[in-house]
Amino acid sequence: MLASWEEVFREAAARWTLLAYFALSTLFILIFAAAVNLDVVNGALAGAKLFGQSVDMGGRSIDIDRLVLGFESGFSGFLYIVGTFLAIFATAHLVPRLQEKGTIDLYLSRPVGRVSLLLSRYTGGLLLAAANLLYLLGSLWAIIYWKTKVAHPRFLLAGLSILFTIAALLAFAFLAGVVTSSTGVSLMTTYALFFLAALLAAHAKIAAAVSSEWTARLVTGLYWIFPKTAELGRATVALVGGRGTLRAVADMNYFAVYGSTALFLLTSLTLACWLFSRKDF
Amino acid sequence: MEASPIQVIGLRKVYRSRFGSNRIEALAGIDLDVRAGEVFGLLGPNGAGKTTTVKILLGLTFPTAGEARLDGVPCALPESRRHVGYLPEGHRFPGYLTAAQTLSIFGRMSGLDARTVKGRIPKLLERVGLADWAHVRVRKFSKGMTQRLGLAAALVHEPRILLLDEPTDGVDPVGRREIRDLLREEARRGTTILLNSHLLSEIERTCDRVAVLRQGRVAAQGTIEDLTAQTSRYKMVVSAPDDALIAALRETGAGIERVNGHLIVSTRDLEHVNALVDRVRSRGAMLSELSPVRSSLEDVFVDLVTPSPSPPVSPSGSIAGTESQTGGRGDGETGG
Repeated sequence: MLASWEEVFREAAARWTLLAYFALSTLFILIFAAAVNLDVVNGALAGAKLFGQSVDMGGRSIDIDRLVLGFESGFSGFLYIVGTFLAIFATAHLVPRLQEKGTIDLYLSRPVGRVSLLLSRYTGGLLLAAANLLYLLGSLWAIIYWKTKVAHPRFLLAGLSILFTIAALLAFAFLAGVVTSSTGVSLMTTYALFFLAALLAAHAKIAAAVSSEWTARLVTGLYWIFPKTAELGRATVALVGGRGTLRAVADMNYFAVYGSTALFLLTSLTLACWLFSRKDF
Repeated sequence: MEASPIQVIGLRKVYRSRFGSNRIEALAGIDLDVRAGEVFGLLGPNGAGKTTTVKILLGLTFPTAGEARLDGVPCALPESRRHVGYLPEGHRFPGYLTAAQTLSIFGRMSGLDARTVKGRIPKLLERVGLADWAHVRVRKFSKGMTQRLGLAAALVHEPRILLLDEPTDGVDPVGRREIRDLLREEARRGTTILLNSHLLSEIERTCDRVAVLRQGRVAAQGTIEDLTAQTSRYKMVVSAPDDALIAALRETGAGIERVNGHLIVSTRDLEHVNALVDRVRSRGAMLSELSPVRSSLEDVFVDLVTPSPSPPVSPSGSIAGTESQTGGRGDGETGG
């Protein structure tokens, strides 16, 4: 398992995807750290400087806690989309490349079960995504604390929620990879799934608008089968934003959203493992 | 009784197209039994079933019927590969890894701990002639160097069984000799080696026994000597083989060729050979040598794999025609 993880990380480093992601993240973190200077007095923002220029606050003082929460929840929403896309981009090749002629023989000739091999690649990919998220979220969280002395551990929880979404989508990317042995197809189908699932958040409206009952049932069925990418994004923002933003997702059935996505993850992964273990190479 | 390291019993493999319309029988029920410490060559033209056999042995492909075992363990189980080293043809190690990293990762995947692997890497790279390349990325390696690295990766966990597919492919003549020596050294240590190669000279020099596959069946199996012995033809060295002697020998129905001062006689059977010897002696000629003419492995291979109207193989797997003339000199061990 450790050998397989090491290889996943070395491969990511060699492909520049990981390095580029870390370089961009570092750049963003450094700019953020250097550009934002806040003057906090008694828990309120009395003055702010952005790139050395004073920001006109109209003589008002802003509650720093609310400001930080607003920034962190907004950023977690941004990271939900960007982080998920980058993580899939950086890991979708793991199965197709493994299955290449001349490569798969080297791995399967070792005393490692096929399911273990696939799962070690999957968990390796997740570890890679987790490392990326931890680096970006952890650094920003530390800088925000350094600048404002406000610490919201919930911001770090956003990473878990994003990672859960990545896990579900990566399981599907692995399934597509096992079936097609193509990185391109894995990427395209997984991104398509992300958007289609997000569209299906409006399944009730779509079902009401379509003419046939059969189509309406199909839309509703797909909604319950697919991961709830739109709801998970909103839930991530709400998780970080706390009370202020939780109202926006007050009617959300968390159990159904997370539960059905977890079921999708498990089904995709099980199917991928089953097909991989039966495949002739 | 201890199981043979490599056992293949009635192995069949039928490939079907995606929608099941086409059906190709890659293996039509083959039996192989490779003994411990033996270097066994698998020969055959393209599509004969060599690679499929090796892939089934390694669990890469599933058989349609029959059994394959490594060290007595069914090949479907990962545990069967615990003591197996494999060098696939056209293998592609990740180009971003260095030679040392490659051996480390694949060594640990074979169940070794990191410390043990680390200790073995320098010696192993030295052994395959890559000591100076330990920290160079594999993508910079030539084909021959990649092949040497593949061999090192196959040996990293000191396997008891080695399955090698074209191990000298892309390697220069000196390197080939080094690899041959290395394989012989492994065999002396008791490693069982299954060698799959198109280079017949390579097989001839390295293997103890070979099996020739043709259209998914074992066309012949035995030692190189068994397979190359053409016992219907003999080299006969006699003093002064004049035309009268040759005419007398021809009277018996033997085919006679004069080659470099000696005679090559084609006979029907051993009785016929003895009759010829009697004729030579009765004419006062001195017989100083009588030996069966051996053909090269290449001749045998071409004869075996060239389609002929009648099957070239006897049911026992020895070459058709050989057994009757030699009183069962074919090795007779092809059955599983």
